[in-house]
Amino acid sequence: MADVPDQLVLKVARDREGRRDVLFRRTAFTAILILLVLGLLNLFGQRPQTSTVDHPAATLELTAPSRVRGGLYYEARFRVDAIRELKKASLVLDSGWIEGTTINTIEPSPISEGSRDGDLVFELGHVPGGQEYVLYLQLQVNPTNVGRHSHDVQLYDGEELLASLDRTQTVFP
Amino acid sequence: MDIVIRAAVMFVFVWLVTRAVGRRELSTLEPVDLILLIVIGDLIQQGVTQNDFSVTGGFLAVGTIAAMTVFFSYASFRFPRLGPIIEGDPVILVEHGEPLMRNLKRNRITLEELAAQARLTAQIAHIRDLEWAVLETSGQISFIPKQT
Repeated sequence: MADVPDQLVLKVARDREGRRDVLFRRTAFTAILILLVLGLLNLFGQRPQTSTVDHPAATLELTAPSRVRGGLYYEARFRVDAIRELKKASLVLDSGWIEGTTINTIEPSPISEGSRDGDLVFELGHVPGGQEYVLYLQLQVNPTNVGRHSHDVQLYDGEELLASLDRTQTVFP
Repeated sequence: MDIVIRAAVMFVFVWLVTRAVGRRELSTLEPVDLILLIVIGDLIQQGVTQNDFSVTGGFLAVGTIAAMTVFFSYASFRFPRLGPIIEGDPVILVEHGEPLMRNLKRNRITLEELAAQARLTAQIAHIRDLEWAVLETSGQISFIPKQT
């Protein structure tokens, strides 16, 4: 009967004494499955969420993902439902919207763009009462923009603050 | 800096995946195994380099993967206790012509696959003619025939 091949120890190679390879493999595979389930549950983005804030003069609704990953394209949709006439409507976006993010397009183009204390201002202009104004932003996350960023949005009519949405966006690597 | 971190994290993740799926899948080219081997490289490349098309980025990513390979290899060599964790260790599948069903089952190898490998790589027609069959850390099976 031949000897055991060199460097093999029967207790280990045959009987697997002291080896937890199956346990390790199953644990590692379970961890991978958990990761997949978390992905399906939108933990890592990019399913959009809708936030709404009401004011007697207007309703502001934002639909955008609050979790995204580096390099992703996504859309942010701002819907302003004017209950009464808005003479000089404007949206103010926190600087977190633009930091480390590429804006591919804004439709329809605002009347003007500006800066207010470092925040981005889109002037929408006149919105008659009973009408809605929808602004689309097409964005792309720069891969190095990892972390949490403020995505607050405020709706103004002239200098009057009508509605404010507090949101945060998390960018995964 | 990001590309080095991404490459290192991806290296560890792919190592974890390869350890989780089992060594047989990495050395055989059955249709399902082929899918894993083909897509894995393409998918990790996008995660590591992302929009970086630069030569410098390529240097950093390849350098990181090379450094991690050497680091894992050295750790396995320098600290033998880490070897079975990092690379696994050989498993005896056949002893004196008798297949060890428990070890075959733990590695998801059927008798048919074992017999096919014996025919293919060692030109041995019967499992009973094997003195030893050992599943090596590479995922390949070495066959040692009985002495006649």
